[in-house]
Amino acid sequence: MQKENPGTGSTQKSWWQTPWAYKESLAIVTGLVFVGWLLQINIGVFNYDIIRFPVNVVVFACVFIFVSLLSLKPKVPLFNWLSGIPLSVSTIAALLLMSLIMGLIPQVPPAAHSHSLTGFDAVTRSWAFVLVYFLTIVNLACVVARRLLHFSWRDYAFYLNHIGLLLMLMSAGMGAADLRRYVMYVEEGNTEWRVYNDDKEVLELPVAIKLNDFYMEEYIPKLAVIDKNSGDAISKGKPQMIQIDTLQPTFNIAGWDIEIKEYLHEAIRNSDSTYRYLPMPGACPAALVTATNRKDNTAQTGWVCCGNFAQLYMTLGLNEQLSLAMTRPEPKLFRSDIVVYTESEKAVSHQLEVNKPLSIDNWMIYQYGYDVDRGRASSWSSFELVYDPWLLWVYIGLWMFVAGSVLLMWEGNKKKGNKDIPQVNNDDVKELNNNS
Amino acid sequence: MITWTHFIFFALPVMVCWLLAVLSVHLLKRRGWAVVLSLSGILIFAAFVALMWIGMERPPMRTMGETRLWYTFFLSVIGFVMYLKWKYPWILSFSLIVASVFILINLLKPEIHSKNLMPALQSIWFVPHVTVYILSYSFLSAATIAAIILLYRYRKQDPDTQLAAFTDNLVYIGFGLLMTGLLIGAVWAKEAWGHYWSWDPKETWAFITAASYLIYIHIRLRESKPKRFTLWLVIISFLFLMITWKGVNYLPSAQNSVHVYSQ
Repeated sequence: MQKENPGTGSTQKSWWQTPWAYKESLAIVTGLVFVGWLLQINIGVFNYDIIRFPVNVVVFACVFIFVSLLSLKPKVPLFNWLSGIPLSVSTIAALLLMSLIMGLIPQVPPAAHSHSLTGFDAVTRSWAFVLVYFLTIVNLACVVARRLLHFSWRDYAFYLNHIGLLLMLMSAGMGAADLRRYVMYVEEGNTEWRVYNDDKEVLELPVAIKLNDFYMEEYIPKLAVIDKNSGDAISKGKPQMIQIDTLQPTFNIAGWDIEIKEYLHEAIRNSDSTYRYLPMPGACPAALVTATNRKDNTAQTGWVCCGNFAQLYMTLGLNEQLSLAMTRPEPKLFRSDIVVYTESEKAVSHQLEVNKPLSIDNWMIYQYGYDVDRGRASSWSSFELVYDPWLLWVYIGLWMFVAGSVLLMWEGNKKKGNKDIPQVNNDDVKELNNNS
Repeated sequence: MITWTHFIFFALPVMVCWLLAVLSVHLLKRRGWAVVLSLSGILIFAAFVALMWIGMERPPMRTMGETRLWYTFFLSVIGFVMYLKWKYPWILSFSLIVASVFILINLLKPEIHSKNLMPALQSIWFVPHVTVYILSYSFLSAATIAAIILLYRYRKQDPDTQLAAFTDNLVYIGFGLLMTGLLIGAVWAKEAWGHYWSWDPKETWAFITAASYLIYIHIRLRESKPKRFTLWLVIISFLFLMITWKGVNYLPSAQNSVHVYSQ
């Protein structure tokens, strides 16, 4: 027993003699991966378009009928194998190995339409992955069916986890075929229905968006001491950048004591070297600062400004090599005031922000981008439109799985000995005895 | 009105309560005292959060310091509940000590002003996503230590079925927390980035980690005594977990990951 390879199960049983256990399961899954690679090399990556609606629904209806028919004869060896732990472990192991390839080798984006012969740089589109994914779904469906045949309320955590995962795997798989994502660019005041897909082709959608207003807030910028020649922040490799804070107006950067005398978040240049407050498009942050060198006590006072598309930046010379400069402000919030018109003749007004998408019919609309050069003065905003008719099912599965996971941490492993294993038939018990 | 300036008057009693709770559970072996003391600390802390919420007229979730308040709160509450349920003293002390570290950071380096958090990170899912993971890591680290002890004892032909059952339990709890964190992340991703799962390198490694623990859990269903291979799975899974947590940032495949933040 000690010498036995734990992955292969019982030693007493010869190959392919039922009930199939680890040896046979691992062999079949390996064979499936091999078949996948042969297909890969001969016909290229799997084209998800072939399982688009309604094909995916037909495929899953077939799985449902197949599993239901098997459930009528639960003692058939095939059903035992398909609903057994050895197959589950083998499929999960195969998915794990393929994900390892995915995790180590940089993947090409789907839009690139290029991949290596092996498909190692496009694992989720490789035949081997798709075939094992499908076998996992069949396996999981059989596992659920077998437990449902011996239904017990005591198994609620099992049902939540396994049915939740099954729903997620199925609808995410279908979603992968039916999911569409587009990017739309809209000028302020305009209404747009033309979008770009991943291939940068222009398409017309049954959804139109009007952009009433684009609004943006920026964080207060930071100050840094830079090298006049190279423009690099001091110290090199570990640049010190300190955020301006009017409540704590004195701080130190790289040996210079900085005092913020005045900070204007929206400023325009008043003269050659001064700024004044004026909220208008094209205004940018500016600060009046005094920098004192700690060693020789020399001090410089002047305005610094980060500049933008409309104004030049301003730095404060500290000595022959160094200047004090202000960084461009980082975005804090950007929001588009939009109206969405749908085919179903809805007109929905919404304030669209990152993390606050709009869900309408089977569409999700996201704040995507804006004119980064113009920042707050951007005259356009862009939106990502994602069409996913299977999203509801993903969410149902997901929250079932969350509930199952919470129960898992609450109940832990209830198993005492082997009491909790569903003892479905005698073959199973025999296999169990052989294993232990 | 309660503001950050009053934090120290709440923070010190909280930390004293928790320190005494840790001492009474480990040195004095007084479970009752530990329960009362940890709960008192949690209530005092909750009072501060609630009063500040009322004072600011908005939930305290906007700055880094405010985010740390929630880390402290959830770590102590979940750790406390887990202790009541599972009675492992280390989980109480671990969560209270880590929770206190977040309090100390808030006292010593108060970032009470708005932090430059990029818009996608400004989400109510941020705090639960991170807190649940911190706790998951603690359980799975403990499981790894238990597996190493079991492997070591294997050589001495001294199978410890009780420790094996304990290891299973730690993996179950840690895995439950891990999945909760992962799925919360998926919900957040859908809201922020448009898709619940995009095989981002961190997601890929999270999947690898989950698959690895899942194999352990399923193999263990049919074993009364864990084999060496099965015990090694706990250690390998933990290595995957560490790669997911920290190692991913250094992989060539992770150059464009949304999970790699410049520090």
